[in-house]
Amino acid sequence: MSADGTIHARGIRKSFGPKLVLKDVDLDIASGEICCIIGPSGSGKSTLLRCVNGLETVDSGVLKVNGEDLGYYETETAFHALSKKEIAEQRTRIGMVFQQFNLFPNMTSRENIMAGPVLVKGADRKESAKRAQELLASVGLAGFGDYYPAQLSGGQQQRVAIARSLAMDPEIMLFDEPTSALDPEKVGEVLAVMKDLAKKGMTMVVVTHEMGFAREVSDSLLFMDEGVVVERGDARAVLADPKELRTKAFLDKVL
Amino acid sequence: MLKFLGHRRQTTSGKDPALKPRLRRRSAFEYIAWIVCCLLALGILLSVSTNPNFRWGVVARYFTHETIIRGLMLTIFLTVASMVLGTLLGLLLAIMRSSRIKPIAATAGVYITLFRGTPVLVQLIFWFNIAALYPNLTLGIPFTDIGIAIDVNALIAPITAALIGLTLNEAAYMAEIIRGGFSSVGKGQIEAADSLGMSGAMKMRKVIIPQAMPSIIPATGNQVIGMFKETSLVSVLGVAELLQSAQLIYARTYETIPLLIVASLWYLVMTLLLSYPQSKLEQKYSRTSSRIPRKAKGIVLTAPEGIAR
Repeated sequence: MSADGTIHARGIRKSFGPKLVLKDVDLDIASGEICCIIGPSGSGKSTLLRCVNGLETVDSGVLKVNGEDLGYYETETAFHALSKKEIAEQRTRIGMVFQQFNLFPNMTSRENIMAGPVLVKGADRKESAKRAQELLASVGLAGFGDYYPAQLSGGQQQRVAIARSLAMDPEIMLFDEPTSALDPEKVGEVLAVMKDLAKKGMTMVVVTHEMGFAREVSDSLLFMDEGVVVERGDARAVLADPKELRTKAFLDKVL
Repeated sequence: MLKFLGHRRQTTSGKDPALKPRLRRRSAFEYIAWIVCCLLALGILLSVSTNPNFRWGVVARYFTHETIIRGLMLTIFLTVASMVLGTLLGLLLAIMRSSRIKPIAATAGVYITLFRGTPVLVQLIFWFNIAALYPNLTLGIPFTDIGIAIDVNALIAPITAALIGLTLNEAAYMAEIIRGGFSSVGKGQIEAADSLGMSGAMKMRKVIIPQAMPSIIPATGNQVIGMFKETSLVSVLGVAELLQSAQLIYARTYETIPLLIVASLWYLVMTLLLSYPQSKLEQKYSRTSSRIPRKAKGIVLTAPEGIAR
């Protein structure tokens, strides 16, 4: 069976200086699974997501994404870091959507979407432009190809950012609080795009505060607090009937 | 004056109060400042124009003198050459300085400290006299006899020393300007580039440098203006740039002051000429307007905000 689109983590530890932010975290995500990670700020949920993309390196533990050890290769005695080129290659298979969109302000929406395929994969410009047009249409921004990020609203920018990640044809999409920086009225348009994506069978890991999205779309739910996975299970089951006291206390406050 | 101190009289004319202009309040200090500054300007102007020692006739005669113009051309050449070379070397140093590899970053750091920490005049004289330190320059393969030896004294002509000195010094300053530009690019931009799998050079070319430009370009314009005047220092090496050309003439004619005025006027003219494009550049790349790239500013927004799906 192909391991594409899967994430497997065992005993991940990560510290920033003396502060341990991930304490033996386990994570198993099947291909096509939609997993929401919730928890209070500072619980390590964003860090976990950033580790899965290689933006942070884990201190110890096993982390396999798409069936490969992320950023390292394993020998008898240790994990050895891969070359930058190999890491970049692995990253092209993982899409990342940031809270602050992080579109390149010096490029139009279309150029942003084409940047990955053309600059990194060396794809044909014309075909990439056509693909970019399709992707823009799929996020509801068909006429916005020539707009620069600064000319778009937050919700529009985030949808372009999603299209930019999708242009690389990743097996996994990671969302780091994708709607937290948006005006409340723009949240819906971004969630709609994400729901579309979920229906197409993309593996998605979403760090979010949108409990409605978690309930409606998510397969599994992970509740983290202080660097530990407190509870995990079926999304609707956890939201309706949390087993842990800590989860219950958190949900009572946010729901 | 008393009118201000006494109580204010209200008069009712037929004029509609809503149309009356609102006048600025002027303090007594403002009037005094006007009077003093005008008197001062008048005094200086009078003294400059009536003092025969200024010899304005001589100034006019030499202003477009062949020697002076040749010196001016050399000054312009030195400015352009040392700015271009200094910026390129500065870019290299800035990239080295931001390297994750410690010895490379440290090398750039030491270079910048040395060249910014010593006077440029001293550096110029140093390069001029480098032959005293290394009389022979050998190009060849280390630890073998193969290679050619060059006499450093012949190689370092005054103008070479001037160019090397100005370039190496400018590179240190440009490195800091460029590095400042790099660090103005948000961390999120680099993470976004990383998540797309961009290589280091690609990130630099497509993401970091284009976004750093708005802060680098106006500062570089300032450096050009500074460099134009800085070139006068190389007159100590006997390079016949603008100041040295003036000195060469007054050494012969003893018309020191008029010739210094000639040189100063040229520096002033060139600086004013340069500061116009500089202020345009600054406006163009100012923080608020540079959010949208230049070529996009013509685009008119007509599409509705956020078409809902």
